Amino acid sequence: MAGRDLPVTSTSALVVGSLTVTTGLRRWLRSYAMMLRFDLRGLGQWLAFGLVIQVLMGAGMAVMYGFYLGDVPPEVGAFMASGVPAIALIPIGLVMVPNMVAQQRITQTYEFLWSLPVPRLAAAASTFTVFTLMAVPGMAIALGVGAWNYGVQLSVSPMIVPAVLLTSLMTTSVGFGMAHAVKNPVTVNFLTNMIVFFVLLFSPIVVPIAQFPDWLASVHRVLPFYHMAQVIRDALSSGLVTDVGLSYLVLSAWTIVGWSATAWVVGRRG
Amino acid sequence: MTSPAVSTRSASEPVRSGTAHWLRSYVMMTRWELGSLRLLLPLIVALQIVIGGGFALGIGLFFDQMPARNALFLATGVAVVTLITVGMVLGPQLVGNQKVAGTYDFLWSLPVPRTTQAAAWLTVNSIIAIPGMVAALVIADWRYDLSLQVSPIIVPAVLLTIGTATLIGYAFAHAIPKPMITQMITQLLIFTILGFSPINFPPENLPDWLVAVNEWLPFQHMAAVVRAALTEGLVDNVGGSYLILGIYAAISVMVSAWVIGRRH
Repeated sequence: MAGRDLPVTSTSALVVGSLTVTTGLRRWLRSYAMMLRFDLRGLGQWLAFGLVIQVLMGAGMAVMYGFYLGDVPPEVGAFMASGVPAIALIPIGLVMVPNMVAQQRITQTYEFLWSLPVPRLAAAASTFTVFTLMAVPGMAIALGVGAWNYGVQLSVSPMIVPAVLLTSLMTTSVGFGMAHAVKNPVTVNFLTNMIVFFVLLFSPIVVPIAQFPDWLASVHRVLPFYHMAQVIRDALSSGLVTDVGLSYLVLSAWTIVGWSATAWVVGRRG
Repeated sequence: MTSPAVSTRSASEPVRSGTAHWLRSYVMMTRWELGSLRLLLPLIVALQIVIGGGFALGIGLFFDQMPARNALFLATGVAVVTLITVGMVLGPQLVGNQKVAGTYDFLWSLPVPRTTQAAAWLTVNSIIAIPGMVAALVIADWRYDLSLQVSPIIVPAVLLTIGTATLIGYAFAHAIPKPMITQMITQLLIFTILGFSPINFPPENLPDWLVAVNEWLPFQHMAAVVRAALTEGLVDNVGGSYLILGIYAAISVMVSAWVIGRRH
């Protein structure tokens, strides 16, 4: 046995020696494209199912808040309609992404994915891309239904593109970072549920922050949810949002936090 | 060695039946269910309290000034939501967990009448749900300065609500073999209960067609019977609600009886 193993080992060592280690942008892009295909295939039917759920949830959220409020005056309606797209974006990054990673841990594909010979950053970038694409239809539906339901004329500006991209990148980054940093899938599931509860009920997304008690408003000036709503609302309306630059800054900071957590976990070994 | 021992025991012990056996089995099954939840039980009860109280406070943030009528609907509605979600969401999910963990078939093999298992389940669900309901009411009463008038009718109203909700959840959780589908149905139910049923908000906020649909669903009637026992003048025709809930309860009992009575 040992005699047969020896030549094999030495041959393969020779082959490896003749290969060049590929690096650089082209390899990164190729790896990214491959991981994108891998992720899309891996999600499979889930992708279609997730999209349908997203669209239904988006439309549902857009009308639900109105049922609670009853008579919605135009200015409140404008706030609601421009807030629901942000609400529709949050579950993708902060619920679906962490739960997907948790699922990978349960089915034990987690370690396998990290063992693939692609730059780890390319793998992470692919996840962000897939989930951002997944979030867009639900968000658009939420926006359309909300505007129709509250009879609001929204003026969509080109700023919607960076606003949505940054928001989506921020939520997927934080969700990704959380899922990689927290090892126990049950804890991840619990955390995501708590986040949804907090975001849907206690965040100034569909209502003005002025309605919140001071201490809670202060908390929200640090947390990302209020700022997500701000940048998206700014791109959909005029005169409702002031100081949107600060919101972009806060969101960027949270994105960096998410990436740092991810990079720390992804970069280490074992 | 084993076969004589088995035959001796089965020959000397008659098949037990009767009320005493049923009650003894019921107590054992209740202890069994409570014991199997163990540490999870206080956690679930605490979560129910946080969610109930959280809802009562959180919805208030949507309003600049909440009208008194809305506040009454919200306070009583949140109490009902905690009862419904334990029976129709948490309960079925726990049954789904038993199926995944493989304890489900074992439970059916226990030598107790199967109705005692259903009764024990009902008891455990009540233990989980009622603290959350009380907490939601107390918090809402404090926050919105309500004048709730609790009448003795609250006892049958709460029991009927939680009983019907638990039985509906029990029926579909046991009838549907796949835990994934059960999970999906429960998510859909939360969405419907919170967003599209006049429980937390007055029915006039809904479009007419949705009001008509809700007339036939159990949710608003659960809210009506509990509300009628907590307030005055908010609910009319509570008799009709009792009737519809009674029909739902009867159907669920029949489905549950069919499900637990059948053999694989």
